[in-house]
Amino acid sequence: RGGQPDEPSTFPSPPTTPSLSLRCRSPSANRPPAAPTTTMMISHLRRAASRAAPSVARRRLSTPAAPASGLMKLNFNLPQETLYDGAEVNSVIVPGAMGEYEVTADHVPIVAELKAGMLTVKHGGDGEDEKYFVPGGFSLTHVGSTTDIVCPEAVKLDDLDPAAVSANYEAAKSKASSAEAGSHAAAEAMIEVEVNKAMGGALGLSLA
Amino acid sequence: MTTPTTFWRLAGVSYVQYVNKASSTLRMALREPAKSKAVAQETFAYNRSQWTEGAQGPKTMVGKFSK
Repeated sequence: RGGQPDEPSTFPSPPTTPSLSLRCRSPSANRPPAAPTTTMMISHLRRAASRAAPSVARRRLSTPAAPASGLMKLNFNLPQETLYDGAEVNSVIVPGAMGEYEVTADHVPIVAELKAGMLTVKHGGDGEDEKYFVPGGFSLTHVGSTTDIVCPEAVKLDDLDPAAVSANYEAAKSKASSAEAGSHAAAEAMIEVEVNKAMGGALGLSLA
Repeated sequence: MTTPTTFWRLAGVSYVQYVNKASSTLRMALREPAKSKAVAQETFAYNRSQWTEGAQGPKTMVGKFSK
């Protein structure tokens, strides 16, 4: 067929470049046939592509299909155990280091480092909320309503001992004040203070 | 490198060390049946054995590393 080739709408149109002919025109000798130019090659490729299956070309990004039920998919893993593997839940409340947030279906993709705090999985409807205390980790929410959460540990509040939390908090506070400022030991003591304080908050203790 | 902004980074503690210390703190505050199960998660030991002429010698547990 002659004339302009049809442009398949699924392909990005390459930037139009002026024809580049790098051969010098020698004034005297017989000129050899013109070298194929960039635009000619692009037109060739477009014609070939339009002959190929256009439906395959349309999907340029592969994204997992969102669950049809309007729920989100949760993958919650610890190194030693898998708590949720592709479970469809209503939402998850994630304790991000920059702030707590709730992830529902079709949430914008977000990657967050977690801080020590409560992670709540809401099943919605008749299901009970599952609450875990996590010391840290990462939460990645992807396109297609899938969230991957990885934590080194996750415990139920019933397994925490409030007396131990208060005692450890006091011990850590004294260690932090007595340690040399900016040292490894001081940092470790401050980590203990931070995590015990978060546990106290989750248990309803008032730790100063 | 950008300036570290967390207190642990400034003290020379890496993220892995930080999160492991936080997990350890959490495990120390657990009640008994869950506690021993969880503490087993972080316990580790090393075995050492000497190889002579392609054969492995007896394994011994390493008590501590001495320079």
